[in-house]
Amino acid sequence: MSIDQEASVSNIELNSQYTGSLGGAVIRHTLIFFVVMFIWEMANRTGFSNPLLLPRPTDIAASIWKIYVTQGNVWYHLWVTFQEAMLGCLVGTVIGIALAVAAVLSDTFRQFLKPYIIIVEATPRIAVGPIFVTWFGFGMSSKVALAALVCFFAPFVNTITGLLGVQEESYELFRSLGANRRQVFWRLMIPTALPTMNAGLKLAVGSAFGGALVAEFISAQAGMGILMARYTMSLNMPSAFAGLLSITLYGFLLFRTMEVIDRRVLYWLDDDLMAKKSAKRAIKFRQELGL
Amino acid sequence: MSDIGSDGVLAGVKELTPVQKTLAHGLVFLILFGGWELGARAGYVNELIMPAPTAIAYRLYEMFFVTGSIYWHYIITMYEATMGFIIGVSIGMGLAITAAISPVFRRYWAPYAVVFNVTPGIAVTPFIIAWFGFGWSSKIALAALVCFFPPFINTLTGLLNIDKDATELFRSLGSTKKQYFQKCQIPSALPIIIAGLKLAMTGALIGTIVAQFFSASEGVGILMQRFAFRLNMDGSFAALIVMSLMGLSLFTLMEYMDYKVLYWRRHSRMEEVGAKRKRQWIKENGDMSQA
Repeated sequence: MSIDQEASVSNIELNSQYTGSLGGAVIRHTLIFFVVMFIWEMANRTGFSNPLLLPRPTDIAASIWKIYVTQGNVWYHLWVTFQEAMLGCLVGTVIGIALAVAAVLSDTFRQFLKPYIIIVEATPRIAVGPIFVTWFGFGMSSKVALAALVCFFAPFVNTITGLLGVQEESYELFRSLGANRRQVFWRLMIPTALPTMNAGLKLAVGSAFGGALVAEFISAQAGMGILMARYTMSLNMPSAFAGLLSITLYGFLLFRTMEVIDRRVLYWLDDDLMAKKSAKRAIKFRQELGL
Repeated sequence: MSDIGSDGVLAGVKELTPVQKTLAHGLVFLILFGGWELGARAGYVNELIMPAPTAIAYRLYEMFFVTGSIYWHYIITMYEATMGFIIGVSIGMGLAITAAISPVFRRYWAPYAVVFNVTPGIAVTPFIIAWFGFGWSSKIALAALVCFFPPFINTLTGLLNIDKDATELFRSLGSTKKQYFQKCQIPSALPIIIAGLKLAMTGALIGTIVAQFFSASEGVGILMQRFAFRLNMDGSFAALIVMSLMGLSLFTLMEYMDYKVLYWRRHSRMEEVGAKRKRQWIKENGDMSQA
C-alpha cells in the first residue's frame, strides 16, 4: 500500500449530483460567497465579532491591494519561500527516489534499511526544525534542509511500493521475451510505478511547502512564514490574512501544476491523450517504414 | 501511513532464521553507532553538530530517571495532541457524513474543501497563536486544524465510493436508508476511514509540536527548541528521540485499532471473530447441528 491513502479532493466528484447549467452553478456559488462575506462584514461593523481577531473582508481586500501593489513587499517573500520549497522538494525527492531504487534493487540493503525507516516514519519529521536551524544557520539552507527532510518520505515509500508492485505475469512475459535486467527496470518497473510515484511527488510538493514555512516560523529573515508571523504578532490581522490567502493561492497553483504534469506523464491513463499519442506514434511508425 | 514494515512490501527474500536476523541487524546497528561514537570521541564529528550516541543516551537517562523533567512535558504534549485529534476528527467526520448524506451541502462545501486541501494547515499557526493565546488551547486548536482534513476527505470518499452491486443488493432486499448507511456504507468505508485516522494522528502530533515551536512555555517541542538554541545538542537529540517514541506509541495504538476494528481484512482475526460469534449464536439459539 502506498502513502496516497489520503484520498485527494480531485478523486471524488464533489459536484457529481449536480444537474443544472454551469452558469447557474457559478452564479449560485458566487451568491453564497457574497452572502457569507456580507454577514461577516456586518458582524464586524456592528461589533458582534472582534476585528482584531477576524478582520473585515473589505479590510483584507484592502490589505491584499496594499501588500501586492502599493507596498509590493510580498513578491520578495513569496519568491524566497518558493525557492526554499522547490529546492527542498528537489533534494528530498532525489534522495527519496534514489534510496527507494537502491532498496528495490538490493534485497540486503532493503532488509537493513527497514528498521531505520520505521523509526523515521514514526518521528514527526518537522520536529527536527530547531536542530536544522542550529546546523545550517538562519539563512536559506536550513529551510531547504527541513523541506527536503519533510518531503523525502512520500516519494521514497511510493517508489518502493510502485516498483515492487509489478505483476508476476508481466514480469514473466518480459523474461520469456528475453529482456535483460535493465530493460525490465526501464520498460516494465518504471512505467508500472509511475502513477504511484507521481502521487508521492504530489504529496512531496505540498509538504515541502509546509516544511519551508515551519522552518521560517522557527527563525528567518525573509519568507511568507516570517511575514505572516510578524503581521500577526503586531496584530495586523488583515495583512496576515492577505498573506495566508496568497499561500492558499500558491498552494492551489502548485496543486494544479502537479495535476497537469501528472496527466501529461501518465498519458496512458487518460483516453483522449492516449488516442492522440497513439495516433502520433502511428504516423511516425508509418513514416519510418516508408508507407 | 504506509505499511512499509509489513510483509507485503518488504518481505525478506533470504531465508534467515530469526536469531541470525537479529544478530545481523544488531551487527549493522553496532557498526553504525560504534563508528559514530568513535568519530565523535576522536574529534572527527563536531560535538555541536552530532553529539556522541552515549551522550544522547546519558541525557535521556537523566531526563527520565534523574531529574524526571521530561514527564510533565511529555504528558502535556500528548494531552494536546490527543485533544486536538479528537476535536479535529469529530469535526472532519461530522462534516464528511453531512456531505455524504446531503448532495446540496456537498455541492456548496466543495470549493471550500479544495481551499482547505491546498493550504498547509501549519501555515495558520501564527493566527492560531494570536486567537487562542500562548497556553494549551492554541496547541490543541492547531492540532485539530492540521488533522481535520484526512479524516474528512477519507470518510467522504469511503462513504461515496460504494460498490454498485452492494448498493443494489441492499436496495433489492428493501433496506431502509438507515440500514444502508449502518450496514453497507459504514463497513465498506471503514478501511479508508481508519487510514485517514492514522494520518490524522501523525498530523495532530506535528501540529502540536509546531505550535510549541512558535510559542509555548511547556511541551517537548519547546524543550527541544530551547536545548537546540543553547547549543545543547545532546539534549535536543534526546528530545527528538522522545518525540519519536510518542509518534511510535501513537502509531502502534492506531495499528492496534486497525487490527481490532477491521477484523475481516485478516484471515486469522476473521476466524477468531467468526468462532466467537458462532459460540454466541449457539448460546442464544441452541445448537442446531445436534437436531
